[in-house]
Amino acid sequence: MNQIFSHPLPDTAIQRRAQVFTILEEFCQELEWTQTQFEKARTSYEAVADWLARSSDPLLASLHVYLHGSGALGTSIKPIGRDEFDVDLISFILGLCPDVAPARLKAAIGQRLREHAYYASILEEKKRCWRLNYAGDFHLDISPTMANPNCLNGGELVPDRKLRDWHATNPRAYRALFDERAALVPTLTQSIIAAQRDAATTEPFPVRQSVKGILRRTVQLLKRHRDQEFLHVQEEIAPISIIITTLAMRSYEMCVRRHVFADELQVLIDTIRLMPVFIERPLVDGRQIYAVWNETTQGENFAERWNDEPARVEAFYKWHGKALADFEALRDLVGLDAIVGSMKDSLGDQLVTRTINRRMDALNDGRKTGALMLGASVGLTTQKLAASTPVATNEFFGD
Amino acid sequence: MTAKNRLSLPQQYLFLQRSKTTLGDGSLDPNRLEWRFLAQPTPLSRTYRMTMVLERDGTPDVRVVGPDLRLLAGRRDLPHIYHDPDRLCLYLPGTGQWDDSKRLDLTIIPWTHLWLIFFEEWLLSGDWKGGGKHPGEDDPDEGNRALRRSLRRRR
Repeated sequence: MNQIFSHPLPDTAIQRRAQVFTILEEFCQELEWTQTQFEKARTSYEAVADWLARSSDPLLASLHVYLHGSGALGTSIKPIGRDEFDVDLISFILGLCPDVAPARLKAAIGQRLREHAYYASILEEKKRCWRLNYAGDFHLDISPTMANPNCLNGGELVPDRKLRDWHATNPRAYRALFDERAALVPTLTQSIIAAQRDAATTEPFPVRQSVKGILRRTVQLLKRHRDQEFLHVQEEIAPISIIITTLAMRSYEMCVRRHVFADELQVLIDTIRLMPVFIERPLVDGRQIYAVWNETTQGENFAERWNDEPARVEAFYKWHGKALADFEALRDLVGLDAIVGSMKDSLGDQLVTRTINRRMDALNDGRKTGALMLGASVGLTTQKLAASTPVATNEFFGD
Repeated sequence: MTAKNRLSLPQQYLFLQRSKTTLGDGSLDPNRLEWRFLAQPTPLSRTYRMTMVLERDGTPDVRVVGPDLRLLAGRRDLPHIYHDPDRLCLYLPGTGQWDDSKRLDLTIIPWTHLWLIFFEEWLLSGDWKGGGKHPGEDDPDEGNRALRRSLRRRR
């Protein structure tokens, strides 16, 4: 196994980097759906699935609705400035031949939704799918698909953007592949120095193992970084989530299978660094195109639009370089103000502030309850360590 | 102030030297204790070089040697500081939070760490989250008279 990181880290750096990763982890928790939101969305989409399944339209006789996209992968994030989540649903219709026109199938779904008074009132037509707007909570995007007879991997066909043709896709196999890769656990050299790690595990700033695994957090952080970076860009050139997710999962797999890392933060950074390796440049009809392939079916190129819109290519590489530099900076900066200030710039002020305020509240709670200690080499902590002294109550004074 | 549990400078010095949570060194004269130490309030924070001086019958004088707080703060006025020269305001005078019966290693040293973490957060947010009081803030508490008296002594 190669070891990307070869110099041993000093204790202070180990502890600092563990804390940075922990803050990123806490930040991701702020980015996510709450359990309540999740339950609400699930109840709603199950009801929609049930409604669609009971359609009397013979076209929709056999239909299976399932969650796909970030909701299914566990990588959804709040959009900046809004609290609404996207929930992507596939309405997989069995027993159809590919000679059914995409527009016709989409219309059948729309018709069935309109038969329901409430759905009709929140229904919005999108290019390829139908959207149900649950204002303030989330919206459900419902895309019709059917089986792809040419895909040996159980793939499906989805209307293309112009509703003229069918387009290969495979959300279920994609999800299975993503889950498989997300479950890979990297080898960290830090496990060798467990004692130092324990010392880094201090309340009120506990070091958390990423509860969802590093890959999901990497995808969430990159999507958020993308949203922040393109917040004021008018053109539609921002890298799409499926490209970020696909490149990240392939890079993560390669990193984790081949390398040993100092810590979680380094896994995150190296995964980002190696993402462009998986952008392919095949020759198609004498033209060198860009391709980010869906590995789970034939012929789905997530970067298809890069070939007609070169601004997207440029936007990707520029954003990727910035993301790598920003996460490397988080790894190397020293000082709460410097680290968190950099996080605010690259990931958004409001949620980063909320994350840090929670930590300061925990600190002040510890002062009030007498649980706050000063520990040797770890600083302020609410954990009782062998070498620590309680922090007596005080009130700051002065101008 | 009662004299019964009063700690002498050599006693304070010994406690500092034996402390496992403050790494430093110092010097001791009959009338003056100086303790130089490094303070890193959390793993994310900078490491600050500090000095603490306690003179006989005096109050602890805590300063940041480096990095330069004013440089870090830019043009902003530093919060919770006694001026000329800059010293950290770590407790409310006259309230008994600190008096010469209290061990420096258990009070002033941890409070220095607290001050520094709130300082770094203040650099970020412009908002001092450590609480406390500013001189002149009216306080109907009984302690107020003692506070004013103590302030007069300091200025």
